[in-house]
Amino acid sequence: MTEVKVKKESTDPVDIENRIKELCQQFPHGITDQVIQNDMPHVEAQQRATAINRLLSVGQLDLLRNSSGLLYRLKDTQSASKVKGSDNQEKLVYQIIEDAGNKGIWSRDIRYKSNLPLTEINKILKNLESKKLIKAVKSVAASKKKVYMLYNLQPDRSVTGGAWYSDQDFESEFVEALNQQCFKFLQSKAETARDSKQSPMVQRNSSFATSHEVWKYICELGISKVDLSMEDIETILNTLIFDGKVEMTIIAAKEGTVGSVDGQMKLYRGVNPIIQPTGLVKTPCGLCPVFDDCHEGGEISPSNCVYMAEWLDF
Amino acid sequence: MTAQEVRLCGLLLQEHFGDVVENVGTHLIRNGVLTLRALAHETKLALDLVKKSLCVLVQHGMCTFGPGRRGPAGPVEYHINCEHILHMLRYPRYIYTAKSLYGDTGELIVEEILQRGQMTMSSTVKTVADRLTHNMPEGQSMDYNEVVSAFSRLVETHFLQRCPPMASAESSGTGSAETPPAVTQPSNPESHPDCYKLPYISLSGHGKRRRSSEDGEADQRAAKKAKTDSSECGDEGIHWQVNFERFHLHFRDQAIISAVSCKLDQTSGEIVRTMLRMSEVTTSANAAFTQALSANEIFRALPSNYNIARPILDQYLTLLVDDPMEFVGKAGDSGGGMFVVNLHRALANLARATLESVVQERFGSRSARIFRLLLRKRHLEQKQVEDFAMIPAKEAKEMLYTLLSENLVQLQEIPKTPDHAPSRTFYLYTVNQLPTARLLLQHCYKTVGNLIERRLYETKENKRLLEKSQRIEAILASLQATGAEATQLTEVEEMITAPERQQLESLRHHINKLDSSENQVDETIFLLESYINSTQASR
Repeated sequence: MTEVKVKKESTDPVDIENRIKELCQQFPHGITDQVIQNDMPHVEAQQRATAINRLLSVGQLDLLRNSSGLLYRLKDTQSASKVKGSDNQEKLVYQIIEDAGNKGIWSRDIRYKSNLPLTEINKILKNLESKKLIKAVKSVAASKKKVYMLYNLQPDRSVTGGAWYSDQDFESEFVEALNQQCFKFLQSKAETARDSKQSPMVQRNSSFATSHEVWKYICELGISKVDLSMEDIETILNTLIFDGKVEMTIIAAKEGTVGSVDGQMKLYRGVNPIIQPTGLVKTPCGLCPVFDDCHEGGEISPSNCVYMAEWLDF
Repeated sequence: MTAQEVRLCGLLLQEHFGDVVENVGTHLIRNGVLTLRALAHETKLALDLVKKSLCVLVQHGMCTFGPGRRGPAGPVEYHINCEHILHMLRYPRYIYTAKSLYGDTGELIVEEILQRGQMTMSSTVKTVADRLTHNMPEGQSMDYNEVVSAFSRLVETHFLQRCPPMASAESSGTGSAETPPAVTQPSNPESHPDCYKLPYISLSGHGKRRRSSEDGEADQRAAKKAKTDSSECGDEGIHWQVNFERFHLHFRDQAIISAVSCKLDQTSGEIVRTMLRMSEVTTSANAAFTQALSANEIFRALPSNYNIARPILDQYLTLLVDDPMEFVGKAGDSGGGMFVVNLHRALANLARATLESVVQERFGSRSARIFRLLLRKRHLEQKQVEDFAMIPAKEAKEMLYTLLSENLVQLQEIPKTPDHAPSRTFYLYTVNQLPTARLLLQHCYKTVGNLIERRLYETKENKRLLEKSQRIEAILASLQATGAEATQLTEVEEMITAPERQQLESLRHHINKLDSSENQVDETIFLLESYINSTQASR
């Protein structure tokens, strides 16, 4: 009797597992225990449980919970093969990281979610990294913080900082170059408008450029290896406003005209500064780093000021 | 009075009037109001000298006197006017403006009155005519009428005004002999109704040429006779002084016009100039806006060489109104549109541009970007500053801290919790335009003081050389007058060696440079002072 039983059991578990897998493929959203029971009424609960546990431990089945009970879902064969050979804790951590998507997750958050001690977490993370399953990405906001995400995922913009950061470094030369180009474009536009000698209203209107035009110009120039959106160009143009070289107006535009956002368009125009460098900065005292220490009779005084001596001989 | 202002006033008084007046002036500034006796006691000078110094200061309008704390019966107290002393820095600019507006005659009139403080019209006319005649070629002389017409034009445009009259009271018996018997309220010269009325004087003649020193004695006798003649001209007691306020308004208008021309174009500048000219005498000094002018009036008042069509003028005016700098505003629609020049706003914009220019020159264009960003957005966190300015975090932090240490940027704490724990507090950076302008103004005063001191030092260092060169020039002049030979002249000239000549040349160059830079810093001082005064007036 026992032989028969053994024989039956030796084939049955595999059959049960295969059957469960087929059922999962039929229902990609997941199957409940009830479904398996309906399909294989002759299988006992014990055997079912063993089969399911085996599939889970091998990593071919995913265990999920929903409002009505537990769901079993077939896991991707690709990812299933990856974690073969890892133990449960690692799989848990891996799952948590996977759930974080492309924003990544911090090690402290992994600890909260998995309730594992810190040393364990660190060991597991190192393991997974060496297996090239996850990677650590330095966040641009806090440079010491490392977030973990799956190896093949592209990190989100908020982590890398978007178009201005490459490898966590703010690309100031890139920004400066874009700055110069935008300013030259606006300046040349203003000059052509001024030279056209038409009525002043027409002159002023033709010296304006919409942010869309500037964006197109920069894209065509091709100095950027990264794709820039219109918002990126607008941040560059804002820095030009803060440099005092450009002014902006907003006009109402019809919905659907190119470049309009919410019925408005931003127009930019190159301007000249309204005064020359002021008189104070034409003297050495205006730029002197030790201005506050200087008084007559002291170590630093107008009589023995070296800056003044150099400036006078200029 | 801040320490820097006191120092600058002292230096200016010393340069223009000498040590004694400087002593008296500085004590008056430091101690507020003083009576004559207290002043003499503090300065430890002879009473005579103190009296003379006070006379000089009163003559120039820098010191006023009035009844003291004990009422009209007590000793008179003297009160000094620091701003007037600081105006001495601007004398070259006043003279230059008069020259550009009214030619050489105007320039000399203003120069004479500035030198003497107050003068009657007749004495001014005579002196100026004499000076002009001296510079003219032989045989020509300056007619008094021309000088009188230039004078009247200056008065019509309010550049010169009558000095406020002093009502003299009987000196009471208790008053000691040395107090001047005068009781006056510090009256505003403009409150006098005849402030700009020209007196009728009977003055005709020509300027007298000053002869060379041989006729010195005859000249002195003639000068004495001229003095006794002046009493017959019919305007004694009517003294004229320079109206500094009017010059300041003119400078302010010039600054606004040049800003508009730079920002927009030449024609817009001309339009604004026309508008300001039309409202010169109708707008009070501290007004925030000029009087409303209609487009029709502006069109008629434009200079004839600018024939702009009426629609084009309208377009220019619309552009001026739409400009973000808000120099010109629209006040109504009658008469083709009523337009005003926003004076206070224009001054604020000019002051802001000055601040930005100082930050840019001193700390670099990226710090200037951060500064302008904070001026626009008022309050920002550290992270937001980095994001808006697109500057790497480390550099932005350094620049912000440098600006903070120089007090150009302030930090505002907003706590989230009642205990102001640093980790739970917002720290916002901000720039306040008015306090920063005041800070820069003090810097300007200190800078001008430094420049003057350096100039005095340079002169003192090379005193020996300067004296030698003066002696040699005197010898040369006397030799030439007595008709010496060429060899003697060259011998005398060679007494100055070549390196000494070079040193003299470089000294002259240094002193000119220091002088001109004083004038440049004074322009900054003027802009910042006007801005600060405009904010005070509107309160």
